[in-house]
Amino acid sequence: MPQKRFFTLIVLFLSCQVYFAQTKEEIIANYIENTGGAEAWNNLQGIKMTAKVSQGGMDIPIEMYTLKDGRQMTVITFQGKEIKQQVYDGKQLWSHNFMTMEAEESDAESAANFKLELNDFPNPFLDYEKKGYTVELMGNEIIEGTETFKIKLVQEPVTVEGEKEESISFYFFDTENFVPIAMQSEIKAGPAKGMIAETTFSDYQEVEGLYFPFSMSQGVKGKPGEPISMTAIVLNPKVDDAAFAFPEKK
Amino acid sequence: MRNLSSSALWLFIFTSSLSFAQNSTVTDGASLFGDLSARHIGPALMSGRINDLELHPTNNKILYLGAAGGGVWKSNDGGATFNPIFDDYIQSIGTVTLDPNDPDKTIYVGTGETWTRNSVSYGNGLYKTSDGGSNWKKIGLENSERIASIVVNPLNSQEVYVAVLGALWGDNEERGVFKSSDGGETWQKILYVNAKTGCTDLLIDPRNPSVLYASMWEFRRTGWSFDSGGENSALYKSIDGGNNWNKIHKGLPEGKLGRMGVAIAQSNPDVLYTVIEAEKKEDKGLYRSSDMGETWEQMNNDFEITVRPFYFSRIVVDPRNENVVCKAGLRGSISRDGGKTFKGLGNMHSDIHDIAFSNIHSDIMFFGTDGGVYRSWNGATTCEIVENLPLSQFYHISLDNETPYNIYGGLQDNGSWYGPSSSPGGIQARDWKSVGAGDGFRVLKHTTKNIVYSEMQGAENVWRIDNKNQLVKTIQPLPKAGHDKLRFNWNAPMALSTTQPDRIYMGSQFLHKSEDMGESWEIISPDLTTNDPSKQNQGNSGGLSMDNSGAENHTTIFTIAESELDEKVIWVGTDDGNVQVTRDGGSTWVNTVANIVGLPSSTWCYHLELSTLDKATAYAVFDGHTANDKTPYAYKTTDYGQTWTSIITSGVEGVVRNIQVDYVNPDLLFLGTELGLFITLNGGEKWYKFTNNMPSVATHFIALQKQTNDLVLGTHGRGVIIVDDISPLRELNEKSLQEKLHFFNSEPIVIDENQSFSGSFGAETQFTGENESTAAKIKYHLKKRHTFGKMSMVIENAKGDTVSTLTPGKSMGINIVKWNYQLRQPKVAKGKTFSFSGFTSPTLPAGRYKATITKGKESFEHSFDLIYDPKSTIPISERASKQETVMEIYNMTESLAYDVYCIDAYLDYARDSKNTKLEAKLNTHKATLVITTGDNYVGAAEPQLRENLTNLLQRVESNYGAPTPNELDNLQQVRAAYRAASEKTIQLKKKYKLAKRVEVKSFTDFLN
Repeated sequence: MPQKRFFTLIVLFLSCQVYFAQTKEEIIANYIENTGGAEAWNNLQGIKMTAKVSQGGMDIPIEMYTLKDGRQMTVITFQGKEIKQQVYDGKQLWSHNFMTMEAEESDAESAANFKLELNDFPNPFLDYEKKGYTVELMGNEIIEGTETFKIKLVQEPVTVEGEKEESISFYFFDTENFVPIAMQSEIKAGPAKGMIAETTFSDYQEVEGLYFPFSMSQGVKGKPGEPISMTAIVLNPKVDDAAFAFPEKK
Repeated sequence: MRNLSSSALWLFIFTSSLSFAQNSTVTDGASLFGDLSARHIGPALMSGRINDLELHPTNNKILYLGAAGGGVWKSNDGGATFNPIFDDYIQSIGTVTLDPNDPDKTIYVGTGETWTRNSVSYGNGLYKTSDGGSNWKKIGLENSERIASIVVNPLNSQEVYVAVLGALWGDNEERGVFKSSDGGETWQKILYVNAKTGCTDLLIDPRNPSVLYASMWEFRRTGWSFDSGGENSALYKSIDGGNNWNKIHKGLPEGKLGRMGVAIAQSNPDVLYTVIEAEKKEDKGLYRSSDMGETWEQMNNDFEITVRPFYFSRIVVDPRNENVVCKAGLRGSISRDGGKTFKGLGNMHSDIHDIAFSNIHSDIMFFGTDGGVYRSWNGATTCEIVENLPLSQFYHISLDNETPYNIYGGLQDNGSWYGPSSSPGGIQARDWKSVGAGDGFRVLKHTTKNIVYSEMQGAENVWRIDNKNQLVKTIQPLPKAGHDKLRFNWNAPMALSTTQPDRIYMGSQFLHKSEDMGESWEIISPDLTTNDPSKQNQGNSGGLSMDNSGAENHTTIFTIAESELDEKVIWVGTDDGNVQVTRDGGSTWVNTVANIVGLPSSTWCYHLELSTLDKATAYAVFDGHTANDKTPYAYKTTDYGQTWTSIITSGVEGVVRNIQVDYVNPDLLFLGTELGLFITLNGGEKWYKFTNNMPSVATHFIALQKQTNDLVLGTHGRGVIIVDDISPLRELNEKSLQEKLHFFNSEPIVIDENQSFSGSFGAETQFTGENESTAAKIKYHLKKRHTFGKMSMVIENAKGDTVSTLTPGKSMGINIVKWNYQLRQPKVAKGKTFSFSGFTSPTLPAGRYKATITKGKESFEHSFDLIYDPKSTIPISERASKQETVMEIYNMTESLAYDVYCIDAYLDYARDSKNTKLEAKLNTHKATLVITTGDNYVGAAEPQLRENLTNLLQRVESNYGAPTPNELDNLQQVRAAYRAASEKTIQLKKKYKLAKRVEVKSFTDFLN
């Protein structure tokens, strides 16, 4: 009997090890499940986020719309005037020029890269295999004092200065509850090209059965970032189609 | 039994979970230090030593550099700018190599500088990335110390060859040529000579990857000598992928050989060049083979070809022309006739270590020097420096007490400098001032006068610089009767007294003291070194090539410290392992090193740090790497050295260069090692590596600025790095770490009123050092990261009004929330365009404020004072007048915004009700209130009331002191216009009964 008990103990020990040694599939499945479940995420038609971005001592109110049909829009309100950025109406990507406040089409490369993200609503990890993405568990890493699973996500290649480059990002899932608390990716353009951008996520809260991070911080890895805090998240918002349309030039 | 099993199961799961939870709260450095982050201020104008350059084989925009002490950097713009990609790992780099079959993703980095000067650092193995540098993995050769070359078979990425130069300071068998057939998973040593001979260059024939060439070098350095060359140096060739090797010396000199560089012509791999250090002067120089190394012919032995082989044995052949060959050197040289004749390279920093030809045109070249990377667009005739490489190699730094304080320091081959800790627009090249030539080391600011002391190698010159009058005097102690020869270290110690401003100390083998700023010197000690004559033969140093630069001077004093608490207590550490102390100003000396248990004899005493709280307490750090010992050593005494205790525990990596003790909390210590910065909160029982924006860079000196509590690091490869205000660390202890949220005490926050212009045009590709944010910082420690639920922060004034809403940090460890102590911008009337002056946030008045963090159902409070700069000359009464005026305009601006909001609503009503008369009247009125045409740039319309208000708001707010009479006159005019406009709005509202007909928000609702 003592032998049997010892054997039981070993099995128990091994099963506990298995419990801690998560696979990438389990981590992502747990994440999807813990934040509302695949069905609820798949049923989601759109999100409107109202946020406050702190930058250079100013608090900038913004609204971000992301719809399942691919349309997106960020609205910044200054002095009662709406300035729209990164607006996609299903065909064109455009933004308001800050000087003229008139709409201008984004450059072709940015638009092409933007369109690659259309299938990522509401979350690139949802049915990632069907999207042709690959995922790899890189191991455990401590982020902001929290043990995480480091997951590498490879999405469609992006075009940078005319050349195709892999689109790789690393997500860090809290080992306790499987929500991502940080994301890192290489900056592909501009003076900081080659440095690692880091976004951290916190203040996860429930909105109609789905969990969203209501607080984020964006910056370069190793340095404190600029915070963004959500004041409200509305699911399946009513939108005015005309608001997304690229305005006719006057 | 069943119940028991069930209980056991739960108990087991519970304990497993518990241990897991405990593990997850174990604090690594990053978890503890949180937002406490380093900022890099360079300088980059003189950059630092480069060991290796690597160009992408097909993409001319991409190139890499391996720095001697500053890591690996990548350029994505053809060498205009670079970014670091290897900061988490040791920063001494031997070579960077791209897999030619996968150059975008697979990169190998061999660590450990290979140009083996006295101040060279060391590496810790071979690294590989398979994703272009996002993730690195150490793949072996941990004890290689220095890797000179990596070759990937151009037809098979799995086959990798590595040339290991190996240990510089002692025997080591991990050297020679290694081969992997599985992409670096496993390694086999395929060419080995002995424990003193390493591989300096390794080549592969691009036509036939089975053909390899390897040059082997017998060499050794000690703290007091360098020996290049021996019977075992040789050039080898293999024709079977490294299984067998044969010497290829036909035509090469007989006898002992030294360091040999080898290069192969990619355009015709039959052609090889080698540069050889030989016994006879006439045999040295460049040799060429046109038959794959079978035979060699001497081509040239000019000075630049034979100079300092240990430092310059790099030859590079133009990939498109076998007859164009470049040689690294003091100035560098280039031949366009197959090596027969050479001419000098264009002007650039001396000491050139590597050269690379662009893959698109041979006129485009890159050079790695002691002073960074240079580019040429015309085949090395004119060269320009890359301006954003802060790779400066400080030996030492010191600080002053100015505001902002300055950092003083000396650099390897780049003189002595000082520069500010902050500057308008960031710290730029132009902010740094030169105060010395040659190699720079200690640079000290006189404590009361505008005088700076600096020096060059071996104290050949010590300068006293009168900054005010721009006068320089050379003041190093000269030999005098009885002391014929003074032995100064390459990095000779100087120290100031904190009690006697004009006193300065210097160390040779004796301690010299001057009470008159170096005009006269007194020797106040006997020879404090071992005076071992076997370590004093620098005149014979170098091996096959004499190298008597002074770099090997030994049995010298290296560090000096006078106690702040008692000027008679002076400590001296020597490079040959003595730790001497006097308690009577130099009359009697006691060598305390024998009291240090566990320290190998003769270990270099690198730094002595004295307590500012107890005069019997001192700290000593020792660097054994010149005796092939990389163990960290740091000790503390509390009884003038009668007993010493080691304060090194696990967690410290790398030889120790420096220690700094906090002025307030003696248990808070900072250790600079060859692998970065380490911090202990409990006197050395546990050390944490500081990694927040802090590379694993050799940290040669640490200083703590007393006014700001900034920790300032002089690194040997990444310039000056500052960790702003370490005072929160003083409060981290067993108790505070256990609190759910612990607010750190804060000194009163000074409102920053400084303004200036930065004018940074032309600096787009220059490195700019980061300034510390001038925002107020509210600091707290979180025991556990906040991930779920709401956590928010508000600031209230003394009346309890909320003045700011902030997003607090959520990470475990120290969080720092920046607060700009400003009221939100006024709500501005909506016009056709923006009122840019409307983006003005009034500064809040000085006073008592309270920060409240709400985390779930709990809240945490912290009160603090916001004050005006006590040194400011602006009277309080003027501030009150300004505050009153600003708020009057602010309130008028918001009232106007509300009026315009109402008018817009009335306009909607007028249009809907087709009341054209009303619509016209409202439009006419509105056009006087806000801009209703034009754009935000040169199409701007004439300013209206909104602009007049906000322009005045911005002007009064941004001006210091009370509003000027001119501004008050303008206010009178604007106020009258505002009142008239308000009256007009009211009249229209009454006349057309708009209050009843149109529903609008209340003023309060509108503002919120």
